[in-house]
Order: sequence, then C-alpha cells, then structure tokens
Amino acid sequence: MKKSEPSTPPLAHGETREPSLWLTVLRSNWTILVTLLLLWPLNWLVHDANLIDNYTRRIILLIGVSIIAAVSLQLINGTSGQFSLGHAGFMAVGAYLAAYPMKTHSAGGTNPLGVLLFYIGMFLVIGIAGLLLLALFLIIRKSGRAHPQLPTLLLLIVGVWFLWDISSAARVRDGSAPPAYLVWSRWIALLGNLFDAVAHRGITMSMPAGIGRPICFLIVLIGGGACASVAGLIVGLPTLRLRGDYLAIATLGFAEIIRVVINNSAALGGATGFTGIPRLSNFAWIYGSVVITTVVIWRIVNSGKGRTLIAVREDEIAAAAVGIDTTHYRVFAFVIGSFFAGVAGALFAHLNVYLNPTEFGFLRSVELVVMVTLGGLGSISGAIVTAAVLTLLPELLRGFSEWRMILYSLLLIVMMLVRPQGLLGSREIWPWRRGGDRKAAPPPPTKEPMHAAP
Amino acid sequence: MPLLEAKNVSVQFGGLKALSNFQFTLDQGELVGLIGPNGAGKTTAFNVVTGVCPPTSGDVILDGNSIAGLPTFRINRAGLARTFQNIRLFAGLSVLENVLVAIDQSAGHDLVGTILRSPKHLRRERGQTARAMELLDTLGLADRSASLSKSLPYGDQRRLEIARALATNPRLLLLDEPAAGMNPQEKLDLMNLIRFIRDRFQIGIWLIEHDMKLVMTICERITVLDHGETISEGTPEQVQRDPKVIEAYLGEPVHQ
Repeated sequence: MKKSEPSTPPLAHGETREPSLWLTVLRSNWTILVTLLLLWPLNWLVHDANLIDNYTRRIILLIGVSIIAAVSLQLINGTSGQFSLGHAGFMAVGAYLAAYPMKTHSAGGTNPLGVLLFYIGMFLVIGIAGLLLLALFLIIRKSGRAHPQLPTLLLLIVGVWFLWDISSAARVRDGSAPPAYLVWSRWIALLGNLFDAVAHRGITMSMPAGIGRPICFLIVLIGGGACASVAGLIVGLPTLRLRGDYLAIATLGFAEIIRVVINNSAALGGATGFTGIPRLSNFAWIYGSVVITTVVIWRIVNSGKGRTLIAVREDEIAAAAVGIDTTHYRVFAFVIGSFFAGVAGALFAHLNVYLNPTEFGFLRSVELVVMVTLGGLGSISGAIVTAAVLTLLPELLRGFSEWRMILYSLLLIVMMLVRPQGLLGSREIWPWRRGGDRKAAPPPPTKEPMHAAP
Repeated sequence: MPLLEAKNVSVQFGGLKALSNFQFTLDQGELVGLIGPNGAGKTTAFNVVTGVCPPTSGDVILDGNSIAGLPTFRINRAGLARTFQNIRLFAGLSVLENVLVAIDQSAGHDLVGTILRSPKHLRRERGQTARAMELLDTLGLADRSASLSKSLPYGDQRRLEIARALATNPRLLLLDEPAAGMNPQEKLDLMNLIRFIRDRFQIGIWLIEHDMKLVMTICERITVLDHGETISEGTPEQVQRDPKVIEAYLGEPVHQ
C-alpha cells in the first residue's frame, strides 16, 4: 500500500474555507434550476397562448418523450456498449405501472398517499420475492462447489416442481380448496395478499386535486421509473454473461415477455388497451424531465462512473485487472437507463391517455436503437438531435403517405453508408470534452521524468 | 511470510496440463523472472494468480490470504496488478483517464454526489486527477496526458499500462512480456523503469520475458518453465548454467 504522498489537490482561485454544502451544490446546479423555472412560462406559451395548434403541440411533446428514451438508451448502448433491444419493454413497464395507480389509486388526484402505498406494496412484494429467489440462487450456486452436477439437478427439480405446482393451481382455481401440496402458488397468493394489504389500505388523503394531481404525477413518474429499473435489474442479472448479439436477443425476448404479459392481463386492459388515464403530461413536465435526464446521464458519463463504464466497454479483461467489478457496472448501466426509459413511458402514458401494448413492440425498440446509432454511439447531444429529427421526420413525410416509410428507410441506409459512426460520432455538439471538471486543470509536470534517472 | 505463494498449483485444459505442481514464492520488494519456451505455461501461471482462470488444484496465497478462484477484480483489490502481453489499454479514453479509471476503483464514488456535483465529489475528482498526474509524471507521461491512449507510441503505451497498474496501489506487479516489440533503446529504458518502480514503490515484481539480457540483468531470481513443469529455479547465474535450461530453452552458447 505504499505510495508516494498524493499532492494536495489544487484549489481554485485561492479559496481558504470550504463554503457550506448547500451553497456549493446550489452553485453547481443553479443553471439547471433556472432552466427548469424557465419552462413554466414556455409551458404557458405552448399550451395556453393559442400560438400552436394541437397537432404541432403533440409532436413537440412526443419529441420530448423520444429524447428521454433515446438519451437513456445512449447510456446502455453507447457508453456501456451493451446492445439492448428491449428499451420499449422498459418504457412499457414504466407506462403501465404509472398509469395503473394513477387511475385506480389516486382518487382523481386527491390521494397521493394511495399512489405511494401502491408502490410500497409493489416493492415489498418484489423485494421479498427477490430475496427468496436470491436465496435459492445462492443455495444452487453453493451446491456447485460441493458437486459440479448438483446445480443442474437442483434447478431441474425446482423448475419441474414450480411448473407442476403452478399449473395445478390454475386447474383448481375454479374448485373450492386447493390441495395441500401447493407450495409455490400459495406463497405467490400470500405475496398477493401482502400487496393488497399495503396497496389498498383505504387510507385517503383529502387534498384539492389542483395540488394533489401534480404530487401524484411526480410520485407516479418516479415510481414508474423505479419499477422499470427493477425490471432492468431483473433483465441485467441473468443476461450478464451475454455479449453483443446474444444480449440483444435476450433483451428483445424480455421486451416481448412484457408485451405479452400486458396483452393478457385484464387489469391492464389487455389487447384492447388501457384507457382513462388523466392527461397530465404537459410541456413543463416533459421538458423538465428531458433536462433532468440529460443532466443526470451527462454527469454520470462524465464522472468516474462513466469512465469506468467506458473502460468496461473497451476491454473487460483489462477492466477487471484494474479492480473494476465489471458485472456491477454492466447492471448499473441497465438500471439507470431503464429508470429513465420508465419515466419516458410514464410521461407518454399521461400524454397519450391511452395505452396499447402494440405501442411498445419490437419496432419501438428498434426505432430507439436507430436514434442512438444515428446520433453516434456515446454522444448524448447526437441522441437528442436524432430523437427530435426521427420523431419529426415521419410527420414531415406524411405528405408522401405510403411512400414515407420507404423514404425514411432510404435516409437511414444513406446515412449508414455515408457516416457509419453516426451524426456526431462519440463527440458532443457543445465543446466540452469528456473528463469532468474542466477547472481542475492538471498541474504542469514539475519533476524530471523518471527515465532520465539511471 | 512471503508476499505471494503458489502451492502445488495445477491447471488442466481438457487433456492438456498447462501447469503442473507449480511452486513459487515471492517476497516484498523482490524482482523475479519467469522464463521458458513458447507454450511453457508462463502466461497460464499469471492467469491463475490473477484469477483469469481458476487453478484445477492447489492454492495461491497473497499476503496470508488465499486468492485462488477469486474474481480478477477482487484479486486486484487485494493488492495484485498486472500488465498484458498484448497491450490492453482503454482505447477510447485519454492517457489521464486510463490512469484515473484505475484510481477510481479504490476511491469509490457515490451516485448522488456524482449527479449533484457535490463538493465532496468535485474534491475527490480533483484529488484523483492530481494523483493520476503525479503518477504519469513519475513515469514520464505527463506531457501526453490529454492524448488518446491509442495514439501513443508503442513504448509509451507499455509505460502507460504499467502506470495504470500502479494506480491500483498494488503490492505485487505482474509484467507479461513488457519488452515485447521494443527496440534496444526502449528496452534499456524499460529496464531502468522496472528497477525504478521497485525501488520507488517498494513492491514485488514478477515478470515474464523472452529478452534474456533484460531478465538476466534485472531479476534477482528466475523460474524456468517447460511444458508446465518447473525445470529450474535460482539466481540468473545458476539458471544460465543449468543443463536442463540450456537444453530446453537457452541453447548452447556459440563457440568463439
């Protein structure tokens, strides 16, 4: 552990005392706060000033949603270099799990507590189920140390038992009492009861809808994002060993699972779609989320975390050799990326006020991947620009009606031929380079370089 | 107690015994070489010690703790760093960032601080940058800190890889053919560099090398492998005179 003493970090302009924490945090974030505040007058311009017709407004808002989704995918596909084709799946999780409690638990925006309890119940259930699965996983893995054939055998036994149990539970559903051997299904029912107990507490909070609705919406946005990031964790963990094409297929499969589950779930409206969502997404909410998403991902990419993600992308073996827990960082990218995908989904749900599982199909995922790739893998501003352009383009080409998708595809092909690295490559529009705090300029070399010494 | 100890380590790939009953010790501050013909199991020995492949049998002990079978990043955090035979730099990162990545891992970073740019986070980034620059300065790379790592000349890339390994605060540094592809002048520089690192950081160095002049000059002890077996061990003079080594690897000296 011996190492030459690190020289004291160079302080900017001779400050002697560290100012208070809040002040410093405010100093590094005031531009963002001001931007967020500026969104309110803009919101008025877009919505109430009668300057923009409904159609244009809707496109502007959809562009915002696309930007959030594309920027969050940039973290997964670009910075961490994992090819995910399931981003629409995460959006779907966010959209449905934001719209559902908003419709059923918020009492028309007067009961933020109900919405909150929904998520608490959700996370209790997911947490307990997750712990049980983790315990099972650890037991199975430990058994591999004792005997290499044991894990497969155990998995087989557990799997068959699980399927048999669940299928027999489905068969006795119409009958009276389930037979005594049902184990898993009983646990699942128990978890369901737990969820009901928490989520349907019946505690209400009487609050005027004018104040309650934004609070509910905020909870729902964060909650939808959090559910999506749990989904990201669930996808990320087992697919860690997969690289490149294999990961793409696995994430694609995941997104399809989500879609099919929604399609078959009566509570979420099934194939006919989920209706009755209040229209709460407006310019300020959507573009506020755009600002926050961009800033958060920008800062992650340009900090130690981002450097580490790039290191893992560039060379996984070398990354492990300098002490990077590569697994941790790959999952980290998935969790953060899917959080914002969930937020985008939640915003979309409250913009469209109607959700249909076909909205979140394979094509939506591909569209997002196209945005990220065209913008340049690793370039946040590139993703923003292409997300805007590619959301706008099909609308602009609407005049060509049936030809527009052909034109659109041709544009993509030409783009890939002319500029395969994407619009911006890995650069950004703005001039700042990767590397974080520019003020901390490296100190000039003072000592003689070593190799001059004998 | 030795810094690193390999006890009866064997590695088997199917029917091939890449390494059999490998015994090895290395003390703090020692400079030890590992030589042998191609396919002798030298890199396999490194891979076992660094956790790239687990030993089929046997144990590896670093500073009293068994590290056999641990994942690579844990072994690195336990105090063992390495460089690679074919240089593995993070091509998309600058010279400075390559070193910073390695420093980051021991320092850790919190997500909330990163997102809010908290003073603690900024101070840490500054401190780490300063440390990385100092390390680069020590290795004579400070003036190239902003360039992309892949744009460096070959010798500097090797040097950067060593700097990156040192940034993880190791107690033992493993160098896999550090002189491969270098010209005589670069080799001379490297020789000085390796000695300098050992003296400056007081760490153990274990290196694989085919350049006999370099190995014989700087190593205090040498292990010779052939077909996975340790055929000789000792000071450079002993090894050079060992008939088994001459037969398997060095060859007869040319008659004047």
